[in-house]
Amino acid sequence: MDWTAVRLGRRGAVAVVAAAALGMSACSSSTGTSSTTSGGLPATVNVVSINPQTGPAAFAGLAANKGYDLAIKEINDTKFLGSTTLTLSKVDTKGDIKTAASSASTAIADKSISAIFGSVSSQEAVAISPLVQQAGVPTIYTQAGSDGVVVGDATYRATPLMRSYYSLVKKYIQDKGWKSVGIIHTAAAPTLVDIGTKALPAIATELGMTVTTTVAVQGTTQDFAAPISQVLASKPDVVAILLVGAQNPTAMKQLRQAGYTGDVLGNSGASAGNLKPAGADGAGMVWPVDFNYQQKAEASQKFVKAYQAAYPGENPLNYAAEAYDAAWFLAKSIKAAGSADRGAIKTAMATVAKEKFDGALGNGLTWKDRDIQVPGVMIRWDGTGDVLLYEGAAN
Amino acid sequence: MAVLQDLLGALGLASIYLLFALGMSLTWGTIDILNFSHGSIFMFAAFTAHLLIPGLPFGFFGIALVCIVVGAVLSLLVQVVAFEQIIKRARNRNTAERQILIGGIGVAIIPLAIAQEVTKSNPFGFIDSGFEVTTWTFMGLRGTNILIITLAVAAALAVGTAMWLRRSRHGLALRAIGVDAEVAAMMGVDRRRLAIATMAVSGGLAGLAGCLFTYTLGAITPESGDTLLIKAFACIILGGVGSTGGVVLGSVLLAVTETIVLTRTSGLWVEAVAFGLIFLVLLVKPSGLFGRKEVRRT
Repeated sequence: MDWTAVRLGRRGAVAVVAAAALGMSACSSSTGTSSTTSGGLPATVNVVSINPQTGPAAFAGLAANKGYDLAIKEINDTKFLGSTTLTLSKVDTKGDIKTAASSASTAIADKSISAIFGSVSSQEAVAISPLVQQAGVPTIYTQAGSDGVVVGDATYRATPLMRSYYSLVKKYIQDKGWKSVGIIHTAAAPTLVDIGTKALPAIATELGMTVTTTVAVQGTTQDFAAPISQVLASKPDVVAILLVGAQNPTAMKQLRQAGYTGDVLGNSGASAGNLKPAGADGAGMVWPVDFNYQQKAEASQKFVKAYQAAYPGENPLNYAAEAYDAAWFLAKSIKAAGSADRGAIKTAMATVAKEKFDGALGNGLTWKDRDIQVPGVMIRWDGTGDVLLYEGAAN
Repeated sequence: MAVLQDLLGALGLASIYLLFALGMSLTWGTIDILNFSHGSIFMFAAFTAHLLIPGLPFGFFGIALVCIVVGAVLSLLVQVVAFEQIIKRARNRNTAERQILIGGIGVAIIPLAIAQEVTKSNPFGFIDSGFEVTTWTFMGLRGTNILIITLAVAAALAVGTAMWLRRSRHGLALRAIGVDAEVAAMMGVDRRRLAIATMAVSGGLAGLAGCLFTYTLGAITPESGDTLLIKAFACIILGGVGSTGGVVLGSVLLAVTETIVLTRTSGLWVEAVAFGLIFLVLLVKPSGLFGRKEVRRT
């Protein structure tokens, strides 16, 4: 999902991109051709992760970096690229768009960098994408669900768009027999606006349900008593709360305080333990997500075990799983290219993306328009942890 | 009944705005310090209590006390370490005001960064604190015990602050500083001591607001104080700088307006309407609803 809560104004984004582009052209006139050896793999292939490791999105950026680290360790340990070692360096964007854009410019200008793992932040990714696409640097994002991230043949996204798997809620709605839904969604995350105003209403129409009311809240909203009051006044059978991570426990608590005791349709922003502060009031929120550590696919469980061995006491989050698959996708592309050259890797990525594969995110993974497609899983929060309800079918 | 329920919700929201804004208004209206680290102090007080809870389930009063003390100490430190130094070195009052504003923003980043680093920006709350937020129903109205506490504390503190400023010797001295610091000093008012005490009280109020806000919402994030800072700023400007009654009215107006917009529209217009209203009020009465015309000697 797009975790971002605040959008950069269009003018601001244009200014950042323009400034970074100027900076890039000032320090390099490269068209993206790497100075690494063409026609054969060098001893080391360098990749950089440009992700927030501090700031509001640090939870996603840090988890993604763990996934990259794990995959790259496996790639090197198993000598997947022969005697070639994949080396990852990490840049902390600190949640700052300008830092993300300038870091991308630096990576583009550094001919020893063959590819980039792009930011989990939509705002940062939107600033990075035009630069890497123009320079032809293969870039794989995770999260960053907004438009303007996957902009050309150099840019891929290893997180499925939420709308591609949100239809998993249909089965749950049908089992419960709900006939109406009231929706509260944030206006600050494009992905959740899309789910709240298009995807979920379309599902409701398909299932013969009515949408009793739809209320948008700002990204800065912290008290949801008023929108909850409005939604409950419309007397829906079920309430959908489509908010960014930190807003979810508050909304659940206030929903219970307002007297609503039923299930709540949510989104993956409620995962990663975000509902813990709501305590028992958080129980009953259900949501589809692209990955959960309990999912049964063999490749997923292999990843989970490797992750738990690498990070004892931790269960992997979807951010790590997505990054893990992104790193393996890149490794396969490098191997197919037989070169660390950016252009060759980019061409190989298009070929590798045509193949179905099994990964941390499940079996039968595919790419569509350079966005990964996954079966997905349905999760219910029981007040203390995730409960796997059911899994989507592999493609 | 739905209208009454919304009104109750609006009053709860107004109480939070008021508790937060009261401390800011106190320092701004008396010792001329617009403290932009108030939001961070608010958050960090609650964050400290959150960190202490696992070992010590304090109960509500214990948590509130921890928040108040942490808020007061932090605010006092900000005054002594940052603002006093700025005032000492500034060429004149206008320069000092501007530098304090920027200094406050700078200082605010430190607790924010610490909390972000520890929580990874995940929400945190007071789970297992020994105090449960419970729900009640009265004649069809629903509310929580923390709502009642927040309303009562906000009302008591607003009245108490106004009375203290108006009737006590310290309050009189503070108001004298607010009107003319130089003349007040000539009359024997110890500005430094009063400024430190005022900042400590302001920080304590921020800490208490942090405690009540966290219990009300269930969880806050390291960035929660920043959002409230803007709202509190608006409440003070709307009501008039230096007027406790003005802050009360500003908080109620902002909260009621937001609630009306949120419950009657799709919700997207809430801040546009609320802040548009403030803009209109200021066009008609630039000093705010209860504000005095500023008289400043050159």
